[in-house]
Amino acid sequence: MDRQHTTPSANWLRDSEEAQRKINRRDFLFRTASGLGGWALGQLMASCQGTELPAAHGVSAEAVGSLLLPHFIPRARRVIYLCMSGGPSQLETFDYKPGLEKYFGKNLPDSVRNGQRLTGMSANQSGLPVAPSLFGFKQHGQMGTWISDLLPYTAGVADELCLIRSMHAEAINHDPALTFLQTGNQLPGRPSMGSWISYGLGSENRNLPTFIVLVSRDAPKDQPLYARLWGNGFLPSEHQGVQFRSGPDPVLYLRDPEGYGPEERRGMLHHLDRLNSLQQEAVGDPEISARMAQYEMAFRMQTSVPEVMNLSDEPEEVFDLYGKSSREPGTYAANCILARRLLEKDVRFVQLYHQGWDHHGSLPEHMISQCRVVDQPTAALIRDLRRRGLLDDTLVIWGGEFGRTVYSQGRLEPGNYGRDHHPRCFSMWMAGGGVKAGLTYGRTDDFSYNIVEDPVHVHDFQATLLHLLGIRHEELIFRFQGRRFRLTDVHGKVVTNLLA
Amino acid sequence: MPEEVHLALKEVSQNPDYNREVRPILSDKCFSCHGPDANRRQAGLRLDRAIDAYSELPESPGKVAIKPGNLYKSEVFHRIISEDSQYRMPEVGSHLSLSAREKAVLIRWMENGATYLDHWAFVPPFKVKPPGFAWPGMENHAIDRFVRQRLRDEGWQLAAPAAREILLRRVSLDLTGLPPSLEELDAFLRDPSPEAYEKQVDRLLASPHFGEKMAVHWLDVARFADSHGYTVDRLRDMSPYRDWVIKAFNDNMPYDQFCREQLAGDLDPRADRAKRIATAFNRNHPQNMEGGIIEEEFQMEYAADRTNTFGEAFLGLSLGCARCHDHKFDPVSQQDYYQVYAFFNRVKEAGQISWNSAVPTPALMLPTREQEEIIQFIRGRIDRHIGSGDSLRAAGDGRFRHWLNTNGPSLLAREKVPLAGLMARYTFEGKSLRPLGGPMPAGRMKTEAGMDGGKPVFTPGSQGLGLQLDGDTYLDLGPAGVFRKAEPFTIGMDIRIPKEFREGVLFHKSEAERLYNFRGFHLYFRDGQLEASMAHTAPSNAITRIAKGPIPREKWLHVALVYDGSGTAKGMKIYLEGKPMEMVTTMDQLTKDILFDRNPEPGLQIGAWWRGLGFRDGRVDNITIYSRELSSFEVSTLAGKDNWRSMVTNAPAALSPVQQATLRRYWENAVDRKLRDHKDTLTALRNRLADQVEKIAEIMVMEESPFPPKTHILGRGHYENKGKEVFPATPAAILPFPEHFQKNRDGLARWLFLPGNPLTARVAVNRFWQVCFGKGLVDTPGDFGNQGGMPSHPELLDWLAIAFRESGWNMKWLIRTMVLSATYRQSSWVPKAIREKDPENRLLARGPSERLSAEMIRDNGLFASGLLNKALGGKSFRPYQPNRLWEINSAVYESDTGSTMYRRSLYILIKRSVPHPLLSTFDAGSRSFCVVQRQRTNTPLQALLTLNDPTYVEISRVMAQNMQAQPDERQAIAESFRRLTARRPNSAELRLLIGLRRQQEKAFRSDPRKARGWLHTGQHRYRPGLDTARLAAHAVVISTILNSDAALTKR
Repeated sequence: MDRQHTTPSANWLRDSEEAQRKINRRDFLFRTASGLGGWALGQLMASCQGTELPAAHGVSAEAVGSLLLPHFIPRARRVIYLCMSGGPSQLETFDYKPGLEKYFGKNLPDSVRNGQRLTGMSANQSGLPVAPSLFGFKQHGQMGTWISDLLPYTAGVADELCLIRSMHAEAINHDPALTFLQTGNQLPGRPSMGSWISYGLGSENRNLPTFIVLVSRDAPKDQPLYARLWGNGFLPSEHQGVQFRSGPDPVLYLRDPEGYGPEERRGMLHHLDRLNSLQQEAVGDPEISARMAQYEMAFRMQTSVPEVMNLSDEPEEVFDLYGKSSREPGTYAANCILARRLLEKDVRFVQLYHQGWDHHGSLPEHMISQCRVVDQPTAALIRDLRRRGLLDDTLVIWGGEFGRTVYSQGRLEPGNYGRDHHPRCFSMWMAGGGVKAGLTYGRTDDFSYNIVEDPVHVHDFQATLLHLLGIRHEELIFRFQGRRFRLTDVHGKVVTNLLA
Repeated sequence: MPEEVHLALKEVSQNPDYNREVRPILSDKCFSCHGPDANRRQAGLRLDRAIDAYSELPESPGKVAIKPGNLYKSEVFHRIISEDSQYRMPEVGSHLSLSAREKAVLIRWMENGATYLDHWAFVPPFKVKPPGFAWPGMENHAIDRFVRQRLRDEGWQLAAPAAREILLRRVSLDLTGLPPSLEELDAFLRDPSPEAYEKQVDRLLASPHFGEKMAVHWLDVARFADSHGYTVDRLRDMSPYRDWVIKAFNDNMPYDQFCREQLAGDLDPRADRAKRIATAFNRNHPQNMEGGIIEEEFQMEYAADRTNTFGEAFLGLSLGCARCHDHKFDPVSQQDYYQVYAFFNRVKEAGQISWNSAVPTPALMLPTREQEEIIQFIRGRIDRHIGSGDSLRAAGDGRFRHWLNTNGPSLLAREKVPLAGLMARYTFEGKSLRPLGGPMPAGRMKTEAGMDGGKPVFTPGSQGLGLQLDGDTYLDLGPAGVFRKAEPFTIGMDIRIPKEFREGVLFHKSEAERLYNFRGFHLYFRDGQLEASMAHTAPSNAITRIAKGPIPREKWLHVALVYDGSGTAKGMKIYLEGKPMEMVTTMDQLTKDILFDRNPEPGLQIGAWWRGLGFRDGRVDNITIYSRELSSFEVSTLAGKDNWRSMVTNAPAALSPVQQATLRRYWENAVDRKLRDHKDTLTALRNRLADQVEKIAEIMVMEESPFPPKTHILGRGHYENKGKEVFPATPAAILPFPEHFQKNRDGLARWLFLPGNPLTARVAVNRFWQVCFGKGLVDTPGDFGNQGGMPSHPELLDWLAIAFRESGWNMKWLIRTMVLSATYRQSSWVPKAIREKDPENRLLARGPSERLSAEMIRDNGLFASGLLNKALGGKSFRPYQPNRLWEINSAVYESDTGSTMYRRSLYILIKRSVPHPLLSTFDAGSRSFCVVQRQRTNTPLQALLTLNDPTYVEISRVMAQNMQAQPDERQAIAESFRRLTARRPNSAELRLLIGLRRQQEKAFRSDPRKARGWLHTGQHRYRPGLDTARLAAHAVVISTILNSDAALTKR
């Protein structure tokens, strides 16, 4: 594990305490490598990630801060992020606007838009006709949370949800907006949330990656995804999200050549290990043991990953709970079950992508089908986590990169309309680990266009997420190109009102 | 003073060096609030300059931050040692704090007089003679003298020379990315001459693979990729640029020229194709085609990317930090940033690139020699054909007179509108969208994306009924108006512009507005002026002309777009009320055709377009479409301003010369068979030319816009917050831009190589050092600023920098110098004590060693197996890749076949949204931005890849098959081992590998199914008749060697 930066101090070699400490750490690791075996080494290396890097910079105060990660007792130990890529409409899901009917077809008042920019898709429309939601809303649960009729199952777990209706973002188009949501910056190059958390907290599972990504196969592929959404940016690449896929190769290259059995593989790796030991004796490079540890971890993954991916040991009632499509590998519903299994194994961060929410036209029809796919499994996941006692320290997040406009993009008809991108406000919810269940937070204006109460910026959301994991967002930093980088850049504040 | 600071004071040096010890602390802990950024500066205090630090504190009269030599009068001292969190610095909110040692260094420095020095990297390099003492029996290589002197301070010396085979592998991999062949190894081992190694180095420097290896490093810097990046991430072919880079290295192009051509090759008066291709460097950045993006936002993003890349690649500065605010640590203000940005902001390009695979403009056409010949041939024919027109016309006198005398003109007089060439005419009478006569179907109202637009709204027109428009719904005239760029046409119509109308399209032939970068043609109204445009891909592969206004409103007017098929701006005219308008040309560079080549091809659309501004509340009437260029007189008849009657009443003899000429023109244009045929032939020839041109590949390049936009400082880096206007210049703290230099990219490139530029040479030699030694002398190759690392050997760095310049920026010389040093040739083995004291090998007491790069791992295996296809250059290729990987990006990957599959890894297709795991797993970046240093990590996914990727399974089997031919197994294994690692296995290793073979073979014999994957993975077929259990077992042996340290690590 090469470090990108070392202390710039000149006397580091002779009298720097940091260098000394680093050497001690390495020494310790390699001594344990022979004592506890390579497995423990891999484990230690992974869990020390967050601490070793700052220390290597010779920035002692930060090193101490990170050595104490988590900074305080976490409320959540793991996260599952149900990422609704494309920007689901808040108007048809969680942001109830009963007064809109009377504006049907009328232009959005200029006083509401107030000169705010529009995308290139609707900026040139000759009018911005208001399109009220075609779907009804009802209050649910003891707290009376307003939820659309499109989400009956979600409504059934209303009291578990901590609903934020006042999210806002900056970018107006998918790529920058989703990149911003996931990495805190609109342009490529920064680590994603899951990578930061892997870097900060390390792994609790020695057989699986810390940050795992699932992509629904049963979603319309309207807006494409790109691997940098779960990329490690400038963090070491062991913190990148690893995509698990349905089918015979859940992780790239996991499968040995056809027919080759674990016994033979073990035999081969055993010989490789001995070959490398001979080399290490000759060249004296400790990197060799570090590499061998990775081979052993790879071998373990060859068993642990297919095991966790194989849902056949789930009882019937689980499939009933998550809905019919959960029997079909790769669907959103099956991925929800899989996510729960991964969380049970203490995987730190699971990110599940479901595309198909980009409804510029024929929104009602698309919303019906999208909600039908995600509603039951999402609610089932919450119930399932709850009954297994996992929800208390698991944070579930549901939402997309932005919301949608109250006005119709394209022609408004009585039963049909489209909505353009709208970053000024959108809805998102969290559940479980440390958030106030049953809370509805934030308020938008009568057109769901601007936030009038308790805005939550994406950076605030990220700060809150880190807080729930026991991390002070200002202190989870990585030095790169001469500056300290954070998930929340130089912004973000923890929204304490959301905390239980 | 706190106890721990007291203790620390005993540890720190008596006279801390400002640059090495003090400034890094000040920069890291103080400058973000008390540094160069004027806007964020707290309490008006600057600590980055002595003059400010010694002056009275603006907010604390009578006090100074630093009183040199007087600790107790220095406010800084009191603040940093205070226990009071309200008073202590750095303040709590900064989340920064000083360690006891750091406090001690600052205290000692202040006691000693708080001397400030300029940041080393901003002072031009100073040539120091290499330390003069010599070592007995050693060569006096300059590099070694610097390195040895530093080692002597530690009481260390250089390690023993590396074993010859290890050294040859090291230098072969570093210089060509390929391992040595067995023959090369043997030749070197057998060569007793003192110059044996030197000869090998020269051989490698002369190898064409040298350019490939150097290109890999530069392509990371140049963010070269095969796709546009951003969401949809379609593929694009920039490979001619990559090949230019390879060739430049192979030709040993001087570094100054290398940079100048990439930055400004297009501005060279002798710019040829190669120089223009080089400028693709500045177009390699990602480009966005997402439907809703805001044009200006991404135009800004592209120029910013160029600016940031310029800073990191050539200056080793994080210029990008100053995009939103003054740089926190370095003397680069936000104004400086936008002054550099101003050099890169002068390309006429689209922010939203076309939704199809059209190459974003400006682009350079790259005809093959054959294409060039065909085109020359057709061009010649066109020229001759045009030339033959004069005599043909002259010979027409008799026929013209005959036409005049046989009442030709009197027939004309009956025409309401010109009839010759009339394709369709729409008057909306009877509330109909049908054309009057002709083969065209009725028009239809449509709206975005071609959806049904409902019923037309009729309104009083210029005559009878007209059509009312709402700006969103357009009249789609289907196949009418489909013209190629070689085909003359005329489109006329009556329009009535409402009073409040600001801008929108009147008519167009295209699919949408900028979604397809305006392919087709259109007539647009903006701010009282009319704009006509015809484009293959706007804005630079297009003709754009603006007619001077103003255009009256609330009044019926006749407008016409008349085009002669020449593909040039002067062939496109706008008429208002039958009169040609005065026009200004803003772009005249249409090289390719204007159709989509789609069925059905979109036709003429009136009054609106998808996602663009339409003719809101406008009215139109009397639309006429002609498949020929109408004469000025005819357009005036179309506008109802004139008619032929005035001429036909006269006897032919009574016609005035003007009338004669007008009639003659009409006759030539529309009547005479011979001349019409002549015109048709011209069009046919031009269409043939266009068909050929259409096939020519293009590449994005730089090109100065004839009307460059102004550059403003952008508040918070946001395109909407335009501040003060700025002009091209460079950061004065680095080196001011000379007055007499041209303020363009060429001037900027020259500025880089001025002797006073402190950064260019240092940054370059540092990067080449990194190529050879794995790590730069400055270990932050992208940051030479205040927050960057200090050089481990500052004098060596400067010596190299100046020697490089004095060599004429000779890149091969520089690399040769480095790899010939004893420092480079050391063994990488080192006693544990030294390794522990210097784990990063900053002092160079041992030779370099590191895990092979992604590309090298694969190339090493392919080379060893004999599979490698060494073809140089060309388009990127697709090796094996797991199924469905591109699915997340809604794309399908199909791997290549045959020998293409085994090309070198630097040619692997790079799709930014889904990097190939072969590359990304081993730390090759996504190439979305400039990278000057790759990570080097170690993960289980890497292990899985080299164990199971078909590439490596196949390599293993192919090598195993080669082994079967050898009678002696020990020798066969030893030879394979040597091919993969360059060294011979020792007896213990051999024993181990033979044991492995036995164990695996036994398993394969007991159950042959276990061997299937080893035998059948990949396209290569093994020779029939082989003992498959043995073959598979040997494949496992090879795979084991391939995964071992001896193969994966360069030592």
